[in-house]
Formats: sequence, structure tokens, C-alpha cells
Amino acid sequence: MIVYILCFALILIGLYGVLTKRDLIKIILSLGILGYSVHLLLILIAYRKESLYPILSEGKKVVSMVDPLPQALVLTSIVIELGTTAVLVALAIRLFEKYKTYDITEIRRLHG
Amino acid sequence: MKQEHGMTLIVKTVTRISVWLILLYGCYIIFHGHLTPGGGFGGGVIIALALLNVMLAYGREFTSNWLNIKLLHDVESSSVILFLVVGIFGMALGGAFLYNFLDHGTLFHLISSGTILPLNILIGIKVAMSLFLVVWVLSAVKEEKGDAE
Repeated sequence: MIVYILCFALILIGLYGVLTKRDLIKIILSLGILGYSVHLLLILIAYRKESLYPILSEGKKVVSMVDPLPQALVLTSIVIELGTTAVLVALAIRLFEKYKTYDITEIRRLHG
Repeated sequence: MKQEHGMTLIVKTVTRISVWLILLYGCYIIFHGHLTPGGGFGGGVIIALALLNVMLAYGREFTSNWLNIKLLHDVESSSVILFLVVGIFGMALGGAFLYNFLDHGTLFHLISSGTILPLNILIGIKVAMSLFLVVWVLSAVKEEKGDAE
């Protein structure tokens, strides 16, 4: 139970960073923390005690295995998060080119 | 090799030795994707990180000369087409998209899973090239700023 609470704390840390930080790079990093903590939560829900990864190998006895479905879905989710992070970084670079700053309170004033 | 491009000599020397080992490890992960944890995505990310390692250590210009960027772009685009071709071959030979039409081989051998190994290799190429090219393009924006404005 304690791992779920810690995982939820990690989600809240990411949310706190997204809501309160002013630097665009810090916001992107907080979004990364938020996403990866959600992935961690999904993997933890799929975990079963004293079970192995769901891959057969030579000489391995088939005992209880963890649920492979959330792992496959989380792999897809990691790929999607990679894409969104790349788009966010590209947007941040464009904003820096235009406004010469990463501070979102400065960017709010449209000039140029 | 000028010093102002890229990092110091220590980083460059270590990168020159280690980049081939990282590439080899990425290929190993891709080729054993159906036997061990890993596969196309993980191995592709490792290969992309090896190329990005060179880019960080030696600078963007050196990497652009070392690698044929246009060729990488073509390889990245064609891997998706080849994936589709394999899938449609399965449709033609077995009746379903991505049907496993190759020989299954013996269990736990390298050639043991039919079309999964070629598909893993195609996914690995796609992931490696696209991840490298994304960072390459992002680093290009800063240099073109002087021309645009």
C-alpha cells in the first residue's frame, strides 16, 4: 500500500511543478515526472508478489507471472510521451526565439 | 579537429571508443527482442542515443558530415513501408494482417519466431532514425535563427 501512496505523491509533485513553475523547461520536466509516475502506477497495479516477467526462456519454470497487458500499454504510452515531449521542446525553442526568455510571465506580454 | 566544436579531448576519445559498443548493444537488444526483454523500441532508442552521444561530443557539424542525414531520413521513411509490406504479405499468404507466414523454427533459438524478428528490426531502424532526427532537427533551429530574422 505504501508504494501506491508514494507513487501518488510523485504524481502530485509533477502536478505541483506544472502549476507553479514559471520556467518553460521546468514545466516540461514536471510533465515528464507526471507522465512517468502514472506509468509507474500502472506497472505497480499489474505487479503480483513473487512473480517474474512474462517472458519464457530456456530452463525457466513457469510460475506466476506479472500481468503483461499494462506493460504493453505503458510501452505505447512511453512512446506517446516521447512524442509530446519533443513537440513541447520544439514549441519552447520557438518561443525562446521570439521572446528571448523561458519565463512564461514575460511571454504573456505579446510584443514583436 | 578544432577545440571549439564539441567537448574536450577526453570526452571525444571516450566517445570514439564507446559509441561502437553502444551500437553493438543496441543491435543485440533488437535481434534478441523475441527471446529476452527488449525489442525494437528499446534497441532503437539505444542506437539513437549512441548517435546522439557523438553529436553531443563532437558537435552538430561533424555529425552532419559523418552521417548522411538524407539517407537516414530515407531509411526511416522506407522502414514503415517495409513494415506494411510484411503485414500485407501476411494478408496475402495467411488471410490476416501481420499473419506469421515464415517458418517458426525451434523454440529459444534466434530464428524461432517467424516474422517477429524482421518486424523488430524494422521497428528498431524506425525508432533509432526518428529519435536521432528529432533531436538533430531541434538543434538545427538555433543555427538557422540568424538567417530567418
